[in-house]
Amino acid sequence: MLKNITIGQYFPGNSFVHRLDPRTKLLLTLGLIVVVFLSQGFLGFAAVFGYVLLAARMSKIHLRFLVRGLKPVAYIVLITFLLNIFFQSEGTPLFSWKFITVTDMGLRRAAFLAVRLVLLITASQLLTLTTSAISLTDGMESLMRPLTRLRFPAHEIAMMMSIALRFIPTLMEEADKIMKAQMARGADFESGNLFRRAKAMVPLLVPLFVSAFRRADELAMAMEARCYHGGEGRTRMRQLKYGKNDGIAGLSLLALVAVIVLFNILGVF
Amino acid sequence: MADAIIEVKDVEFRYEGAEEEAVAGVSLRVERGEFVAVLGRNGSGKSTLAKLLNALNIPQKGEIWIDGVAAHEEANSLEVRKKCGMVFQNPDNQIVATVVEEDCAFGLENLGVPPEEIRRRVDEALRVVGMRDYAEAAPHMLSGGQKQRVAIAGVLAMRPKIIVFDESTAMLDPSGRREVFSVAEELNRRDGITIVWITHFMDEALRAGRLLVMDAGTVALEGAPRDVFQKTEEIRKMGLDVPPMAQLAAQLRADGVPLRADIMTVEEMAVELCRSKFGA
Amino acid sequence: MSIEIRGLTHIYMPGTPFETRALDDVSLTIRDGDFVGVIGHTGSGKSTLIAHLNALIRPEPGHVFVGGVDVGEKGQSLIEIRREVGLVFQYPEYQLFEETVEKDVGFGPRNLGLDEETVKTRVREALSQVGLGEEILEKSPFELSGGQQQRVAIAGVLAMKPGTLVLDEPAAGLGPAGPEGLLTLIQGIHESGVTVVMVTHSMDDAARFCDRLIVLNHGRVAFDAVPGEVFRHEAELRGMGLDVPECVKLVRALKERGMDLGEGLYRMEDVRAAIEREVGKC
Repeated sequence: MLKNITIGQYFPGNSFVHRLDPRTKLLLTLGLIVVVFLSQGFLGFAAVFGYVLLAARMSKIHLRFLVRGLKPVAYIVLITFLLNIFFQSEGTPLFSWKFITVTDMGLRRAAFLAVRLVLLITASQLLTLTTSAISLTDGMESLMRPLTRLRFPAHEIAMMMSIALRFIPTLMEEADKIMKAQMARGADFESGNLFRRAKAMVPLLVPLFVSAFRRADELAMAMEARCYHGGEGRTRMRQLKYGKNDGIAGLSLLALVAVIVLFNILGVF
Repeated sequence: MADAIIEVKDVEFRYEGAEEEAVAGVSLRVERGEFVAVLGRNGSGKSTLAKLLNALNIPQKGEIWIDGVAAHEEANSLEVRKKCGMVFQNPDNQIVATVVEEDCAFGLENLGVPPEEIRRRVDEALRVVGMRDYAEAAPHMLSGGQKQRVAIAGVLAMRPKIIVFDESTAMLDPSGRREVFSVAEELNRRDGITIVWITHFMDEALRAGRLLVMDAGTVALEGAPRDVFQKTEEIRKMGLDVPPMAQLAAQLRADGVPLRADIMTVEEMAVELCRSKFGA
Repeated sequence: MSIEIRGLTHIYMPGTPFETRALDDVSLTIRDGDFVGVIGHTGSGKSTLIAHLNALIRPEPGHVFVGGVDVGEKGQSLIEIRREVGLVFQYPEYQLFEETVEKDVGFGPRNLGLDEETVKTRVREALSQVGLGEEILEKSPFELSGGQQQRVAIAGVLAMKPGTLVLDEPAAGLGPAGPEGLLTLIQGIHESGVTVVMVTHSMDDAARFCDRLIVLNHGRVAFDAVPGEVFRHEAELRGMGLDVPECVKLVRALKERGMDLGEGLYRMEDVRAAIEREVGKC
């Protein structure tokens, strides 16, 4: 049951997008998020959507994957949509039933927010689909490095993330085994109300935590044995290098920003 | 005395808050290029000893010299760990990275080795342990034996003179055990790396050049495996087994079958029994 | 109650690149009073098989009958099946979670809905079955030694009074002196009338304790016979990444040198007796 969950669903490939420096992709994603918030209308969204679609095309990621990734957040999108319809009373009423009134402004605003959410998720999905976990952490560490001067623990955070990613599959498998061991003793994880179910998790969580702590202890020792002594004086086997393609990708985002700003100035929504 | 790569002199070590010494007065020497097995039951102090050789434990008393460096002084720990690598028991809990080759590079990255040099050494180490084809695999998709080979490669890339294996086969299935043991044997034979092999498996101990048996924090028996395993009764008293053929030989001898005393393997037993029956 | 498995197949992650056929058309019967050893290298399907024995995995396709009841049938009470077929996993750490041994061993019986008085008796009985005294009741399971933890884990399942006890690698990770005592204990449990199914890597342990061996290879039953019969196929077993007991190797080595001790010997004491007959005492 737990085995079917995939985290950081990287889709291996060797496309233009895959080969971009992870820092470029991180910055582009950040840029796209800003652009999405900058857009004030659907025309802007269409431009962003076109851009994301083009990127997906170039990375040879099937649209099916992007849609599948939206499923877990579909409820959030739906709830955002509904709340905004019902709690907007300005504008011309289109439909009314008891205390609920749907206005044109409400409908517009709801659609606007829902589309914005979908775009944000799709853009960040494209990042994780085309970038392996290790490149992501490398990229983050490198981008955060200037902050070290402000005593920001860039190396430690990157190391923690990378270890977490390393152990997620191990702990998932372990959780599955523990669950089975307790079910063999008649534990029931599936029925009862919320409180009962939460209580039923104790026999799962205690062994899982005990094991995780033991693992952490042993891992710390193994790291020490291999001369780990923090980020100081450390080198990396994989060096990040910006290339021509990173420049092209950066320019493309600038072009998108220009288009959006133009839309905003001209007031076309 | 010139070529002792490990020298342990009257070492005592007690864990914080523990009432008894985990290692209570151990002295030993290991020559360069030796393959030494350390046998002992749980709590005999064998793992504590292993961690003393790697400066993961610093002794309260005594001296430890690793290739001329004082491992009993905490300030030298990095230097000691470069010379003496360690492979642990649980394959899952010693792999740091999400990609095999990244994990191999971990030690060298910590030492600040230049990137191109790391690349070369990692490729080389993975080739030696036969994991080159898995360089970009995710560790959790590998078998136990493969994970341990990755761990060995990670240590090997640091070019240590000594590798301590702390029960590195205990959690593996029989084929994984064979896989890992033969890698260690090969490193010893071909590259002259000194191996300290901590185990509770008799068949592995039998294949070492020399055997130390630990009991209650001290070295209780020491010598060629063949000689040590003839002391069937003493070994059993320490809560250990002897290899099945040594056990059988001891019983047959007790029952009056005339046999040589140092039978350890099936082959030796068969030869000896036929000699006993058909004559030379 | 006997357990019957008919045409059982299990595929992990079907339809993905990770698809693996863990069990492939397995049929076998575990009869009342058996002491069965299940052998196979890692990935042969052993763990998947035993998880089917008490409905931790729904048989699909195929059938598992426990005492004639089809465990895959809709609406079937799983708790009764899990009580009847007790399953102990390899690492005791995976099941110990309570503050005291008494509470931990009582977890199973309490899930069965038994009253506190009965739970109390069951806990004490189960602990004495695994050779642990009452002084352990108030201890935390986490401060016990590995061997004691394994015994407490077994007691936790015995307290549910299963008709069949399934153990996954009970002796693994116990250190050198551990297996001997634990295996003798399991033998005692078998003698008290419990059917035992034991997954093991150790051919020597299988030879000493089991009356029947089931060898799995790539999800299929390669052998299902008495040990003496299974060990005759040394070459095939080696091909599956398995071994034979040392004394079986000795019997073969002697035969090659012209000393024939006879067929079907696989226990050390039998081999020893045969050697003494053959070579003679002086």
